[in-house]
Amino acid sequence: GTQIRSCKDEYLVPLSLMQSRLKAVAAKHGLEEPSPEVAAICCHAVHERLKNLIEKLAVIAQHRIDMITKQS
Amino acid sequence: TGGGDQTTQLLSRPRLQELVREVDPTVQLDEEVEEMLLQLADDFIDTTLNAACSLAKHRHVLNVELRDVQLHLERQWNMWIPGFGNDELRP
Repeated sequence: GTQIRSCKDEYLVPLSLMQSRLKAVAAKHGLEEPSPEVAAICCHAVHERLKNLIEKLAVIAQHRIDMITKQS
Repeated sequence: TGGGDQTTQLLSRPRLQELVREVDPTVQLDEEVEEMLLQLADDFIDTTLNAACSLAKHRHVLNVELRDVQLHLERQWNMWIPGFGNDELRP
């Protein structure tokens, strides 16, 4: 059916690259090539995962700076 | 584990730097950290795709569907990506 998304689909990883990786992995498992929707959700997921990691790194780095300034 | 025989990295360094600027413009990453994040992204993609394939096989079908990826993301990472399929079932 019709899909409504609140944001435009701009992927962190190019959809075509994700699709071909997915095709290769599926073939290794003896499966058919999945639909582009499957590649799209994987692109969103890796975006989310990396964003989360970077946010945590930023907090950790700031904490380290705060500790140094407090000690000096 | 990396991408096995797949040597192409799916995420490019400039795109990663763009994402870092989006998250926090004051953050600067060491080259080693960038390298590690690229590797982590690749591993994440690899494990997700392989897990989705295993779940499809577990369902005894030849087609990997959205729900295979969704199930893995939810169970492994507690992650829900909105806008795909059965959102009406979600709070």
